[in-house]
Amino acid sequence: MRSLRLFAALCAAVVCFAAAPAHAELKVVATLPDLAALAKAVGGDKVDVTSLALPTQDPHFVDAKPNLALALNRADLLIAAGLDLEIGWLPTLQVGARNNRIQTGNDGYLDASRLVNLQEVPTTQVDRSQGDVHPGGNPHYLYDPRQALAVARGIEARMSQLDGKNAATYKANLAKFTQELQAAQAGWEKRLAGLKGVPVIAYHRTTAYLQDWLGFTTIAFLEPKPGIPPNPSHVAQVLAQGKARKARMVLKEDYYPDSIAKLVASKIPAALVTLPGGTDFRGGQTYLQRMDLMVSRLEQGLTGKGE
Amino acid sequence: MLAAQLSASAAWAQQSSPPSTAAPPASESPPEPAPASDTPALSPEEMSEIEKALGSDTSTRARPSGSTSPASPTATNDSGVTPLKLPNAISSGTNFLNLSFILDMALAAFSSKEPLQGGGHDPTQNGFNLQQLELSIGSVVDPYFRFDSNIVFSQFGVEIEEAYATTLDLPANLQVRAGQFLTRFGRINSTHPHAWDFVDQPFVMSRVFGAEGNRGLGVEASWLTPLPWYVEVVGSATDAKGEATARSFFGATPERVLSPLDFQLTGAVKQFFPLSDDLSLLWGLSAAAGPNATGYRNHTSLYGTDVYVKFRPITEQSAQQLVFQAEVIYRRRQVPEDVLSDWGGYAQTVWRFSNRWATGVRYEFGTPAKTQEGRVANDPLDPEWIANRQRISASVTFWPTEFSRLRLQAATDRVGWRATPDYSAFLALEVVTGAHGAHAF
Repeated sequence: MRSLRLFAALCAAVVCFAAAPAHAELKVVATLPDLAALAKAVGGDKVDVTSLALPTQDPHFVDAKPNLALALNRADLLIAAGLDLEIGWLPTLQVGARNNRIQTGNDGYLDASRLVNLQEVPTTQVDRSQGDVHPGGNPHYLYDPRQALAVARGIEARMSQLDGKNAATYKANLAKFTQELQAAQAGWEKRLAGLKGVPVIAYHRTTAYLQDWLGFTTIAFLEPKPGIPPNPSHVAQVLAQGKARKARMVLKEDYYPDSIAKLVASKIPAALVTLPGGTDFRGGQTYLQRMDLMVSRLEQGLTGKGE
Repeated sequence: MLAAQLSASAAWAQQSSPPSTAAPPASESPPEPAPASDTPALSPEEMSEIEKALGSDTSTRARPSGSTSPASPTATNDSGVTPLKLPNAISSGTNFLNLSFILDMALAAFSSKEPLQGGGHDPTQNGFNLQQLELSIGSVVDPYFRFDSNIVFSQFGVEIEEAYATTLDLPANLQVRAGQFLTRFGRINSTHPHAWDFVDQPFVMSRVFGAEGNRGLGVEASWLTPLPWYVEVVGSATDAKGEATARSFFGATPERVLSPLDFQLTGAVKQFFPLSDDLSLLWGLSAAAGPNATGYRNHTSLYGTDVYVKFRPITEQSAQQLVFQAEVIYRRRQVPEDVLSDWGGYAQTVWRFSNRWATGVRYEFGTPAKTQEGRVANDPLDPEWIANRQRISASVTFWPTEFSRLRLQAATDRVGWRATPDYSAFLALEVVTGAHGAHAF
């Protein structure tokens, strides 16, 4: 009898939760905090944005935690970086979410990589002997503000499509964001003008878009192949290259280990620059602030004041 | 969790090409906003007109002519099915079918002449063992279903381990699976060797369910509750037959199904608690009931609980992970004139101490079946099991990349009904090729 009453109470609770009025806002889930920041810039207070990954996480290796599926279950729009960056974890969440809106190919799914000018798209047959290659192109495009702007435009178009009532707001937010970003970009380019032609070493192949924008040259990677951790003989080669070509900086994201990058930087010698792995979206950081931080660190590296 | 949904090797991105409208170029104006919810609702008359028009459309729609793409001249012209193009190993975005092969082999050494290795993928003899060659095929079927399968090749033949359809578009947070699938009883049962932290299967699984783990043809419904934390309720009905898949139920005996009570009914509740960014707890409660072969209307019931705790720092730069996993299963069987009950389970902890290395320990136990009076029973399934059995295993794993794995494991098996402990050692290799599978939590 008692258990029956408990059961009835539980059922009532569930019904109450189920019957809770839905919020009028668009629920957006982005796989990466950078994408979340762009979605927030466009959506403003009309959208509720969640990021599945943290900026301190390597986006290739995120755990498909059930609570992430829960966020997707309630989402109206899923924004993914695409190009197989999330292939190891997102599909599981998409199917588990039981939400048809955000399945690949539906209106609630936006693959941001379709909006940008891709770099490093393999022109020959690739296979995994070359490491963890991305057959569709390099997925780290949000290091380039020009690509971020293209993504923001695509997000605005999709949000306006899904939520016509607020289309004017999204348009206005995008216009504001565009203006701010382009103004900031001019400043960043001025500050980093000295990067043109500068030889640098990077940890992972994350610099394709950054160098396309700023004009430096990545002469070597600490990883022998994408996704394969550095080994002594390869690091020795990189060090020799770095010395011979007078590399000025060693770049790595904050989610990659530091010791080997530190060592190589000190032996060349070059400045070690730790790039933010993404926007600290939960901490309230915007995409512009994140880029500004990255530019400051590159600037310090350029003046030889790495870490 | 989704684990069962999609075993680590059998889940892929749905690879439909994005619709051409996915993203208008920046120069174009965005598409006309869809009518928002503030448009006036249609009157019932208008609705019925729409329904009528649609009805006449469907009745006059031509059948698919089966016209095939020029790229596939071999297609028959009356099936209405365009043949599937086999994908390049890692191409993505345009292919309809994902294939991957997983090869597991092990070099093994046992101190015992007759090692008690019950799992279907366990190494069982001194020397080289082909544990399995698993072919995973998965794909979206249409907007309503996806298809997943695991077909296992061994030296003795081919076996359909799993082949099922999963719904993608049911209302009310419901999802249905139909076909042959591993039931979601507990945690490890619904996973494949690729997702295991040890070379062999915990013996409680092969003792209670059979060498292949608990699976069957049937149907499963799962519901994601609208509670603020992750609570999933799963129920399934599967056939209760199979020495290797349902031995505590009908097992190998060819019984006829005469009523719904002749199926194995399984229920589970899975709850997930994100204790912090770095710490997660997954807790499951499971129960299964079904007929057994010892006599008319004799039933077996199983109760289990499983706990999975994962500590993986993601708020700072770290490659370390610490995982604890434990499962206990209580089994109760009606036999003529008596009721037999026994316990079994395992607890394991795995520490991934760097990007490519992990080490772990596992403890397993199983009690003999006891009668209602508490005496050791004559177990119809395992007559030799007259005392406790415990096994302790330790393993070290090295992953060159996420697509290959080398594992060294040693174990001591304290079998109560044998005079001396058994010892074993394995060196196992696993390679995964083909489409990149998505990993479940």
